Amino acid sequence: MRRVRILTVCGSGTVSSSMIANKLKDTLGEKGYKVETTEVNPGGVKSALSTGSYDFIAYTSPIHGEFDIPAINAVGFLTGFGEEEFIDEVLNLLEESE
Amino acid sequence: MLSVLDEKLIKLNLNCKTKEEVISILGKLMKQEGYVKDSYVDAVLKREQIHPTGIPSKGIAVAIPHTDSEHVNQSAIAIGVLNNPVEFKQMGAPEISLYPQLIMMLAIDDPKKQVDLLKSLMDIFQNEELLIKIKNAKEKHEILNLLNFL
Repeated sequence: MRRVRILTVCGSGTVSSSMIANKLKDTLGEKGYKVETTEVNPGGVKSALSTGSYDFIAYTSPIHGEFDIPAINAVGFLTGFGEEEFIDEVLNLLEESE
Repeated sequence: MLSVLDEKLIKLNLNCKTKEEVISILGKLMKQEGYVKDSYVDAVLKREQIHPTGIPSKGIAVAIPHTDSEHVNQSAIAIGVLNNPVEFKQMGAPEISLYPQLIMMLAIDDPKKQVDLLKSLMDIFQNEELLIKIKNAKEKHEILNLLNFL
């Protein structure tokens, strides 16, 4: 089982980042991935990236700056409005990095 | 799990012109009932400016104003149904305006303990039929019945 580490970002680092983290665990879990997540607010992204390694960032609040890993807008995943596009993007990314 | 729903936190037929108005009304209810601290309403208003919570759910827009757990005593959800929609900005895309009539204001005391609740909320945002039923409810107990799985 492949491990995936995801940094989830929302305005408070609590509510929607946790929703997304939970749903990523379920969705990717069904595809055979073991998902670990860390939830932060936009201000916490830099320090999280400097202290841990992640496969990608999933955000519902805009984040600014240059990152070495992909950052994907997860609002569609949260609302169901664009959910499949989000999942496709994540799966493509994970397949490419294998 | 203690229910997060409370009939006292439901308001139907609200006449509000702005998101600030509806957030203040629902926030005051939560404060009166002891679910949140004095600082909650201001914290939600401030956060909404920076990190908007409008959600373009299927068929009907919803807004889920909330803030950090430090302003919360006990998890709860206040529900406001507006007679006319008010403008909220879209979560993750502040340049986009949405006009929700259904406002679900969240007080979450510890997201790690509320995994099931947060999952259920996501399911609600994706359930157009349920959202429309809540929006069209004539009585508070209809909403309690519709959401009795929370």
